[in-house]
Amino acid sequence: MSEIKHVEPFADGFISALGPEIIIFVGLILLIIVPNLGSGTVRIPGTQSRVMWLFGGNRFRLTSNPKLPAWITTLTLGAAFVQTMLSFQDGVDRTAIVTESGKQLMLVNGFSRVFELIFFGALTLAAFASMNRLEVKGVGPRLSTDDLYNNRRQADFYILMLTCGLGMSVVALAQDLFVLFIGLELASFSTYVLVAFYKESKAGTEAGMKYFIVGSVASGIGLYGLSMLYLWAGSLQFEVLASQFAIDGTEPLPLIAMGFVLVGFGFKVSAAPFHFAAPDAYAGASSPVAGILATASKAMGVIPLLRMLLIVASPEASEDGTVWLTLLGVLSIVTMTWGNIAALGSKNPKRMLAYSSVAHAGYMLAAITAIGAWNWDASLAGDGGEAAVAVLTALIFHLIVLVAFKLGAFLVLSILESDGDASRLSSLGGLAKREPFLAVAMFIFMISLAGVPPLAGFVSKLLVIMGIVKVAVGEIGAEIMAGGDLGLSDVHWVWWLAFAMVINSAISMYYYLRIGVVMFFDEAEEGRTGPLPTGWQVRFAVLACLMATLFLGVAGDKLLEICEVAAQSLNYDWD
Amino acid sequence: MIDWISIPLVAFPLIASMVLLAFVANGTERMRQRLVAPIRMACLIFSLVMLTITTGMFFRYFGDVSWMNIAFNDYEYHFIYSWVDTLGIHWAVGLDALSFPMVWLTTFLLPVTIIATWNEKYGATYFPLLLMMGGALIGVFVSLDLFMFYVFWELTLIPMFFLILKWGGKDRRYAAQKFFIYTFTASVIMLLGLITLYFLQDPYTLNYSGSMTGRSFSIPELIDNAKAGNVGDNWYLGAQMQKILFVMLMIGFLVKLPAVPFHTWLPDAHVQAPTGGSMLLAGVMLKMGAYGMFRLPISLFPHALYHFQLALMIIGMVSLVWGAIVCLGQTNLKKMVAYSSVSHMGVILIGIATMQPMGWAAALFMMFAHGIISPMLFAVCGAFKHHYHSMEIGAMRGMARHSPWLATSMMFGWMASLGLPLLAGFVAEIMMLIALWHMISLDGWSIWWMVGPALVLALTAAYYLWSMQRTIFEGGETGQPPEYLIGKPVPDISNSEKFAMLIMALFTILFGVMPWIGLDMMDDWTKQAFEGLIMFVGKGGA
Repeated sequence: MSEIKHVEPFADGFISALGPEIIIFVGLILLIIVPNLGSGTVRIPGTQSRVMWLFGGNRFRLTSNPKLPAWITTLTLGAAFVQTMLSFQDGVDRTAIVTESGKQLMLVNGFSRVFELIFFGALTLAAFASMNRLEVKGVGPRLSTDDLYNNRRQADFYILMLTCGLGMSVVALAQDLFVLFIGLELASFSTYVLVAFYKESKAGTEAGMKYFIVGSVASGIGLYGLSMLYLWAGSLQFEVLASQFAIDGTEPLPLIAMGFVLVGFGFKVSAAPFHFAAPDAYAGASSPVAGILATASKAMGVIPLLRMLLIVASPEASEDGTVWLTLLGVLSIVTMTWGNIAALGSKNPKRMLAYSSVAHAGYMLAAITAIGAWNWDASLAGDGGEAAVAVLTALIFHLIVLVAFKLGAFLVLSILESDGDASRLSSLGGLAKREPFLAVAMFIFMISLAGVPPLAGFVSKLLVIMGIVKVAVGEIGAEIMAGGDLGLSDVHWVWWLAFAMVINSAISMYYYLRIGVVMFFDEAEEGRTGPLPTGWQVRFAVLACLMATLFLGVAGDKLLEICEVAAQSLNYDWD
Repeated sequence: MIDWISIPLVAFPLIASMVLLAFVANGTERMRQRLVAPIRMACLIFSLVMLTITTGMFFRYFGDVSWMNIAFNDYEYHFIYSWVDTLGIHWAVGLDALSFPMVWLTTFLLPVTIIATWNEKYGATYFPLLLMMGGALIGVFVSLDLFMFYVFWELTLIPMFFLILKWGGKDRRYAAQKFFIYTFTASVIMLLGLITLYFLQDPYTLNYSGSMTGRSFSIPELIDNAKAGNVGDNWYLGAQMQKILFVMLMIGFLVKLPAVPFHTWLPDAHVQAPTGGSMLLAGVMLKMGAYGMFRLPISLFPHALYHFQLALMIIGMVSLVWGAIVCLGQTNLKKMVAYSSVSHMGVILIGIATMQPMGWAAALFMMFAHGIISPMLFAVCGAFKHHYHSMEIGAMRGMARHSPWLATSMMFGWMASLGLPLLAGFVAEIMMLIALWHMISLDGWSIWWMVGPALVLALTAAYYLWSMQRTIFEGGETGQPPEYLIGKPVPDISNSEKFAMLIMALFTILFGVMPWIGLDMMDDWTKQAFEGLIMFVGKGGA
């Protein structure tokens, strides 16, 4: 693997290292400027001649097109996505952004690149699909005030999308808790507003408010934890914290601080017991935004969890792994079971998907627990963290494919939402007759979420379970081959997390299937039998999600390799 | 050799049916109606092609393949293509005397089902679903890779779910969801067992291992390792682990079989499923459970099989007796037939639990014979429902008077199922009884184990004859159709139904009179398996 290049801000190599972020930044500027361009002129003082000034006056036909902000955003995010993708072409260059004194602020490597892929992919699809969501009327230079207002709303919405993407990628890159916190807040504040942006529905504002209050309390607690960490270690650098933790990580102060920090991040992944705002937020937000919350925002929450738990409080080959292991294991079981049981009784498809997202958070926590347990066996620890890499690969793969079927499901709901309402199970009724493509797509997303082969959701769940079992079984196979008689009691207890996962998948089957049943075999609601609102963009996005769900289920090999590269680059001590 | 399995028997039916479904689903109602006839014909022709291929395989037209004397864990038409290299997943197919009869049975039932349910409503989506079902089922039987096996195992649920949901009876929603969740729950537990097994293998010593995990999903390789590990008193993977894994895998297969107490999904699914769905469900899908047992837990963990012999025997006996007793109390014809399936699956379990080569061969032949007979029973039930709009036993009497064809088919099917000599079912049952005697005399089991099967012989005759008496006979000179049909013409079954019944009846007779056509290879397989497994662990059968 190549050496890490150290680059100071704005020095050589800075631009190429942060290519995707710079693309987004440029897009952001464009988004602020371009929709304002018009035929405005300015008179040169003292003369009669007027020169083109571009701001003010009547806007051009192109710049006043209400769909322009959406296109700019989609193209920007798409370009960032492609740029990130290209960086995988021939091995990711590892570049660290450092301050003059040599402190690492950001690190570009396979790990951060893969997460950027998730963020940009999800945001591109959501932005593209939202094009049909916000009202678009009156194209042309002569616009009424309402139309102008709509246009402004468009710009606002998409600016928030871009800042959200920027914040998320900063989180992925951050090597310093302070930088990470800035990115996290940038993304969070954008999502708070995006949630409240669903002004067509009363629930939107309420949801935005709830999400904001709970979210900022969680951030506040997290920040308090950060300050305690600083007090203890005198630095917020991951490297420094990690080395400090290895020395005296069992003191109460860092542990309490760590707990506080994890509360803040736990909220982002909507892990129990910090998940209470999630169902309200998802149900109140417009569906594409809810889709972002469930995919990109969740992936963003996983990053600090991984970094804090696996780099800072990294499980050195101590006897029982680390302090947090048992706690996280219990939390993961509680989270997945709670999510699934709550989803069973939920009559609102968006709430149901929100609870299912909580359940998926539980699966992710289970995976993280297993990574923490990877060197429970002394002979495994010398194995180069192979088991840990396997679980992490699975986790990353899971987060990537989640974008395909979770966001896809929300986008299908989005079409129904523009048709009137998608907050009742019955609003999905008769979808198979109204638009078979959407019904089939939704059904495939649902069974993929449940983990039915041969879809992407199955492969990802299988990989996570496989990873956990691999960690749990450890070297027991070899011991048995050598003649030992070992049973389940000799297997590490994380094996039971895998067991909880499969049982939970079975529970979740019920509510996922119910959606299919309603779509295919219930009559449509009164007055909702006609064709659904048109809009090729959102359907194209659904199709893309569908293709990814099917394709990655049977041919995920390439992606797996990328994920493995990413997983290996999280913690270089594992090599 | 040419790979006659992967594409023609598995991939093509799956892909073609999905393409057809996608095409039809987006069309208009009118187009769908116009397309019924061509789609039905295409599906029939294609299923006949599949039947030709498997029959040709039997008669050695497609490569010189002998179905006798295939060594244990050796496969004919064995092809391996790499699929997901990182995890060691391959597309591996192959046939031996265990899977070949099942594959042939599937290809045989597919056209028969299509013909028997020729006029099913919404045909444009119905027939492709049947085809998809066939492809997925064959996929299960030919898979020689655990991952692939599991994928097809679950894939069979999807077409069946839709068949029940769209064409089913009144409580179809409940039945379809129960069916799906029940079997899904069992199979995820099985999956966890499979994964644990996967990681217990010795890494990097395998031929088909994945680049990332170093373990292999290959079933032949796994069985070879297990065989090497199970010599004498050595337990492959150690005693505790072998028992645990055996139980975890068996849960998946026992629910699918189904065995009491995991059987409750079956009556619901059968009663609500449409005729075609029931035919494939009873004919092949239940056998997936028995097939899986032979392929994995039995082949891998013979020690554990011995350890749990008594438990299996008890479960088998309870299934056998309980199924038969419940049958007696049924008033719904289809429910009765469904419970009789539970009872017959008990025979399979008992056959396995005898730990005699004869018993295993009996189980294999029961899988096959029940696979031909039970679809006929369900076809009769379907026709019954179709003509009398009721499934209640005794809702109408004297069927022989006005519907002689249906009455004859029913009588034939019922007789075949209760084990009339010279019909296929009898062979399996008598073999099971002989194996049980072997077990009692050679292995020193108590003679009381004969009570259950003896009782069930009588019970089976009782419930079948009694239900026949109340439907076919009685009712005076002209018969007594249900009240709401009095005065209306009651037609007999249609020509296509007659044809399908005739075919199934013919094959029931064929395999009853000349069972060796199929039995020889099963017998051979069990001998090979016994040599490969049981002799190794130092225990002997008859």
